[in-house]
Amino acid sequence: MGSSVRRRKIFGYLLLAPAVAVVVLLILYPLLQTVELSFRQGRSMSLSQIRNLPIGLANYGYVLSDAAFWNSLRVSLWYVTLSMGIAFLTGLSTAMLLNQKVPLRRLWRTAILIPWAVPGVIASIIFVWMFDGSYGVVNAVLRTLGVFESGPNWFIDRNTALVAMIIPTAWKAYPLITLSLLAAMQSIPDELYEAARSDGANRFQLFSHITWPGIRSVAMLVSLISALWIMRDVDINLATTRGGPSRSTETLALYVYNEAFQNFRIGPAAAAGTLMIVVAMMITIVSVWAIRRDKF
Amino acid sequence: LLLLVVALVASLMLFPIYWMVMTAIMPSEMILSRNPSLVPDPSRFSLASFYAVFESGSYLRWLLYSIIVALCSTLASMVIAFLAGYSLSRWTTPSHQFLGGSLLISKIIPGALIIIPFFVVYVQFGLIDSYLGLVLVNMTIGVPLATWMLKGFIDRIPQEIDQVAKLDGCSEFQLLRLVIIPLSAPGLAAVSIYLVIVSWSEFIFARTLMQSEEKRVLTVGLQSFMGEHLVDWPHLMAAGTISLLPLIVLFVVLEPFLVSGMTKGSLAN
Repeated sequence: MGSSVRRRKIFGYLLLAPAVAVVVLLILYPLLQTVELSFRQGRSMSLSQIRNLPIGLANYGYVLSDAAFWNSLRVSLWYVTLSMGIAFLTGLSTAMLLNQKVPLRRLWRTAILIPWAVPGVIASIIFVWMFDGSYGVVNAVLRTLGVFESGPNWFIDRNTALVAMIIPTAWKAYPLITLSLLAAMQSIPDELYEAARSDGANRFQLFSHITWPGIRSVAMLVSLISALWIMRDVDINLATTRGGPSRSTETLALYVYNEAFQNFRIGPAAAAGTLMIVVAMMITIVSVWAIRRDKF
Repeated sequence: LLLLVVALVASLMLFPIYWMVMTAIMPSEMILSRNPSLVPDPSRFSLASFYAVFESGSYLRWLLYSIIVALCSTLASMVIAFLAGYSLSRWTTPSHQFLGGSLLISKIIPGALIIIPFFVVYVQFGLIDSYLGLVLVNMTIGVPLATWMLKGFIDRIPQEIDQVAKLDGCSEFQLLRLVIIPLSAPGLAAVSIYLVIVSWSEFIFARTLMQSEEKRVLTVGLQSFMGEHLVDWPHLMAAGTISLLPLIVLFVVLEPFLVSGMTKGSLAN
């Protein structure tokens, strides 16, 4: 009996082994390599020689004194905060709409969630066209409404490019929020609402005393996941503005990418990326801790 | 009134997709107008842009490569993730769950960063421009995602069924093959679709690792149009429509499973 229990335990680990191997070989090992690369200072003509370079902190010094790095940090902060804000409000309001007893609810839910499935590159292409300065439909509508005479060249003008980039990002991010919040709302028992209504609670009180406490932990978790996604994603950034004009839309993730593959500075890119992961980990740990504490 | 609001919101959210399709089928003098009509006259629609897309050989090649990469990445990830998902669902010792939790680290690693070591290693081993190399990188996203989603689905198969099968003399492998796989078939289908969508959308890895022009996949090919000085919008929108259509069909199939699968899979822990 004892040996069969042990055999079963070993079998359980065997089943898990390929997945752990993928994580170790394809995620953790490359990650450690990145950290190593971030300490290899100086330039090397060939990538195969890069690991013979001396160890030091020069790459970190370079990154931390690079104005473009701090600029990208600021851009990322705005980009994540604003995209997240818009996506969350859209997700919350659509979830509340879909939580009502509306005919054909399944159909509407599917329709509202579709943007999630649109690849970032295709979303980028669509929005660049819609926000085109001369022929874009957005400017045409705004002109008709009398907002302005000519309208900005959204993705090309450095004052509007970041705003223009935030819109497709939020558009792709909100469905996950809708879906999660809707699931949380549907698990709140109807009796709670009925009891509160018979006590004379108004719509706002129903939301703040029943709905919000019921969805709060899910809301925090899905916000964290979405924010991390927006922070690390470069698809939309790269496919719309490539960080331009003059770095006004270069996020931290794109800074890492551009340093490595446009300026061919692998070391500084790895250093900036390592810093980015440290920040992401700290945000995650603090948030998960806050969510856990909130739950229990 | 509520119906009206919902319909209005849904059309606003889907407007970008609608506009892509409209641009693809409108004649160019309507596209290059300062005031395009939001509901164009259907009698002037033409499919010329779609024909043009199919006639250009490169689009069909991108499409084919994207399909191959998506299928291989999904298949490889699914096999590994199914075993791991089953394992995490049935073995619940802390060390086991810790190993499972370590899969979630992929959630905070930016693609723009993880691609750097892959690039360095691939240059040395000649894996640049190789689809095998691309599939391997795609698995770094696919395996962790699918493992946790599949765990959610397999959790819903009662463990009593395992016990009964064992009493009937099933070995561990027979249990997997004859009981767990059939019972989790809807979950397997849903997660596969999810992974196909993820792989189809993948851009940054393919852009970096597939350096030669004739090896591009769909997303990279579409994006390459954007760099041109004069973009042929109807052509590009037609290409975008064809690329998006299969995803929307898959999404509609997947959607009922998402509420349970995605929230459990991506929010668990």
